Amino acid sequence: MELAYFTFLSSGLFLGWSLGANDVSNIFGAAVGSKMLKFKTAALIASIFIVLGSVFGGSGTTATLSALGNVNAVAGSFMVALSAAFSVYFMAKTGLTTSTSQAIVGAIIGWNLFADKTTNTAVLLKIVAGWALCPFLSAGIAILLYLLLKHVLKRIRLHMLMQHQLLRIGLVCAGAFCTYALGANNIANVMGVFVQTAPFDTIHIGILTLSPAQILFLLGALAISTGVFTYSHKVMDTIGKNVMKMSPFVALIVVLAQACVLFIFSSSTLRNALLSVGLPALPLVPVSSTQAVIGAILGIGLFKGGRGINWSIITRIVIGWFSTPIMSMLICFICLFVLQNVFNLTVFLP
Amino acid sequence: MFNIKFTLFSHTKELEQKIDELHDKIIEISMSFKKAVHLFLKEQRSTNYRKLSKEIKIIEHDADVLRRDIESRLYAHNLIPDFRGDVLELVENLDKVINEFDEVAHQFYLERPVIPQIYHDDLKELVDQVCDCAENLAFASRAFFRDFTAVRNYSKKVYYFEHESDKTTAKLIDAVFSSDLELAHKLQLKTFLSEVADIADLAENCVDQLLIYVIKRDI
Repeated sequence: MELAYFTFLSSGLFLGWSLGANDVSNIFGAAVGSKMLKFKTAALIASIFIVLGSVFGGSGTTATLSALGNVNAVAGSFMVALSAAFSVYFMAKTGLTTSTSQAIVGAIIGWNLFADKTTNTAVLLKIVAGWALCPFLSAGIAILLYLLLKHVLKRIRLHMLMQHQLLRIGLVCAGAFCTYALGANNIANVMGVFVQTAPFDTIHIGILTLSPAQILFLLGALAISTGVFTYSHKVMDTIGKNVMKMSPFVALIVVLAQACVLFIFSSSTLRNALLSVGLPALPLVPVSSTQAVIGAILGIGLFKGGRGINWSIITRIVIGWFSTPIMSMLICFICLFVLQNVFNLTVFLP
Repeated sequence: MFNIKFTLFSHTKELEQKIDELHDKIIEISMSFKKAVHLFLKEQRSTNYRKLSKEIKIIEHDADVLRRDIESRLYAHNLIPDFRGDVLELVENLDKVINEFDEVAHQFYLERPVIPQIYHDDLKELVDQVCDCAENLAFASRAFFRDFTAVRNYSKKVYYFEHESDKTTAKLIDAVFSSDLELAHKLQLKTFLSEVADIADLAENCVDQLLIYVIKRDI
């Protein structure tokens, strides 16, 4: 049973690996590309904080995904995660901006349709609203941070060398915060669909208690870390040197904005705190870290008087919001059919 | 952790200090050069001039040591990796200005040009302008590491003094060639005047580069 479970889990682990290879590069790409930080240091920080974020902060977004569709058979979970991985791969090939969050949501809806379960439209709307808000929120936060940090730097007039050293420390801290938030927000994409079928028992290590879901998150986080160590260096090089050539100062703001957005969309504590003082709180939904990065860069670019909004990027993001889930849903539906009727596996429980 | 923090900032502090010292050297050599030319006009190649010329040589040597030290520290401690090239270029340009001061002072010592009394005031004025130009370059470059607005202010002064030095040089060369001096003497004086004026030109080139760095770096 255990071995079979791990075989089914492999699709989620693969999804985790690809998340580690791609999304962590957005966080540390500029710092590593500009040689402000060594790759090994970045990868180590990323791995530690992804594990922490996933294990201790991943429950909020997982609950939202579970509310959307409660995948209750491990073979079904396997196919949901695999469909998401395939659609991310195909969408990336077409050059459209995509994310695992959108792919997994589509695949869960595909499972709901196949299993004849009702999709909670209120939850779905909440998730789509989160995706739509994510780049704009990121842009707004980036502009605010840009103004604030620029003002502070102009006032304190630090020596350039000291400024750089502090910037380097800032990039490490912001990177750590961001990878924590990424783990907390995106672990649901990787492991969320396996939570219902997790065969683990609660583990006690000293004062630490890990629930079955947290053990699953730990495994997912280790898969993400493997992706970071094995493949993200190449992506970081590309991002740092070619795709997003930006100063370390701008890189710090982009990373911080991304971290804030991911954290806002995943922290139950923050949500409860906001609600307790009567403030509106955002839903806990897995969002796209890449779109948060794009939002932050566009925000700063616009504020600095760039050439205006790059509509092709915006269009690609919006197309991604719809095309990725639809593709993922179709792949999942077809593959579940094959899995059930050709391989005779139980892909859902009534 | 505290150890790491301490090392991180101690390297930075040391390098900051070295860069500041290099700027001090420009101001020192400029003041010594001014004093040396005034002395040469008064005493020709006297013992005092010889001493002053040696002092200038020592300042130039110290500046070279500082430059090498700054360059190696920038690489050894991986400081400002994205901006290291520009800082290295700046340091080398500053060193060129210092070298030119030393070279001209040494030329005076070796060639012992005979400068007629009627040109003394204009030459002193030229030297003052050139030295003001170099000193403002040092202020601009120092400001570059802390306050970009001040770089623009000092750069304006560099451009002003360089322009004034060009005018004074042209006026002097014209006067020299209108005089009854031997052609060889005229040519020697022209070479000297041009070399003094070259210091201001080098300072101007350096400030041009500095302003480009400011544009590149302005957040």
